[in-house]
Amino acid sequence: MDATAPNAPPRAEVRPATAGPVVKRHSIAVRLLHWTGAFALLLLVMSGFAIFNAAPYLDASDYNNPARRVLEIGSEQGPNGTTIGTTTIFGLRVNTTHVLGYGDDGQGGEAARAFPGWITFPAYQDLAGARAFHFFFAWVMVIVGAIYIVVGLLNKDLSLLVVRPSDFPKMWPMQAYYLRLRKEPPPHGKYNPLQKAGYTVVIFVLAPFIVLTGLALSPGVDALAGPLTTVLGGRQFARTWHFAATIALVAFTFGHVFLVVSTGFFNNMRSMTLGTYRLGKNEGTGV
Amino acid sequence: MNRKLFVASAAALLAGCDSVKNGLNENEAVRSTLHVAQDLNAIAIGTHGMAKLYSPADIDRDYPTNGDPTPTDPAYQALVREGFRSYRLPVGGLVEHPRTFDLKELRTLATLTQITRHDCVEGWSVIGQWTGIPLHTIVSIVQPKPQARYVVFYSFDHDDQGQQFYGSIDRLQAAHPQTMLALDLNGKAVDPDHGAPVRLRIPTQLAYKSTKWVQRIELVSDFKHIFGGNGGYWEDQGYQWYAGI
Repeated sequence: MDATAPNAPPRAEVRPATAGPVVKRHSIAVRLLHWTGAFALLLLVMSGFAIFNAAPYLDASDYNNPARRVLEIGSEQGPNGTTIGTTTIFGLRVNTTHVLGYGDDGQGGEAARAFPGWITFPAYQDLAGARAFHFFFAWVMVIVGAIYIVVGLLNKDLSLLVVRPSDFPKMWPMQAYYLRLRKEPPPHGKYNPLQKAGYTVVIFVLAPFIVLTGLALSPGVDALAGPLTTVLGGRQFARTWHFAATIALVAFTFGHVFLVVSTGFFNNMRSMTLGTYRLGKNEGTGV
Repeated sequence: MNRKLFVASAAALLAGCDSVKNGLNENEAVRSTLHVAQDLNAIAIGTHGMAKLYSPADIDRDYPTNGDPTPTDPAYQALVREGFRSYRLPVGGLVEHPRTFDLKELRTLATLTQITRHDCVEGWSVIGQWTGIPLHTIVSIVQPKPQARYVVFYSFDHDDQGQQFYGSIDRLQAAHPQTMLALDLNGKAVDPDHGAPVRLRIPTQLAYKSTKWVQRIELVSDFKHIFGGNGGYWEDQGYQWYAGI
């Protein structure tokens, strides 16, 4: 898992003096949970888009209320017998033919459908199948998350990850380092202050929120925990929140992957596969 | 890499993904593995609690329908023409006192009116006022035998291939105080598009469980021998039998 060419001198000799030692970074449990969770997230998002396609609009109300519609993906007749895909977001209508509203039907052709086949699971429109996959991987994700919390509490890793007030003054210097406005990152532990903030929000805010909003749009849960749906603004609003949380989680994932690639791809991948990691400048293993 | 080649190979890769994804969706071993999630959902959520009751101001007068419009079945059409005067609802199977109800008798048993939200599996919802007979009233009249575990509802409607619509719920869902055989929607007799003259209405599960145009009711110990064996028309199409989520 090293980028070094076979005839190059050993990595340690060519590394700048600022590079630190190789340390154990992620336990086998965390590595397995990470990749299981990543796969589950992919399937959840894709099957979720397929489920969305069955009612391709989002309302900010308890029941369907077009007056409070925040998003609608549809299609209409275009010139010369063509079909146009349209996306209306907060009343702003955009032509999204071949991407949203009209596009890949998942079987080699094109059809009127909200999300195209290449981004949904299954590729063709099948609500029953999409639901079957969605619920299965929802359970996988919840179990992965629960084990992660238990493991993280037992091996103290979680306490290194949770953001604390002392991290706040270091956030801008860290951001400045990412933006190449600063040569060195501020001294930090196993996770840098921005990683701590990001992971804390995802693990303790976004993940529970996406589970709760998903549950809130189910009639069985609504009967058990009505106030949950009420607090979210009703069933249709819960669906809107669930979708918004998905977009936030997908955005986080893109940012995460971008940083994995841009901050030492092989070293980062080594830490999440083999578990070992070469420390960078001002990087430690503690809080 | 040349841009055209990149676009072409990306498209080929995605098309390849399409067939892998669709293949997994159709793989029986995969689908039966996924089934464990339904069992977990049924255990974790189940049939507890009460659906939210709304006020008359919340009623949506434009109540959408899903699936088939009025059934084309000749027997049903004949009933529509004569205003369901000769409609009879047989309730039988594993019961001590099988019997048939006419609409007049059903009307006298219709003690329940509730304004509830109808949650479609597609993701939309609508609020309506339903009046009807609590299903447990019917169940207690016919007295189920101890081995009766499920209540099966057969519909007047058939799909394009001639397959009859049907559905089933367990005794617990049948005993739920909000599970009803509905006769009226928003103060008027249910119209043929919405399931006249009698339809099931289960506000604590998704609406595909609420069989429309109920032709007869049967109590059974198991539904494996009925049509596709999954306990309902939609379940035979791959939808979950437990539809609380």
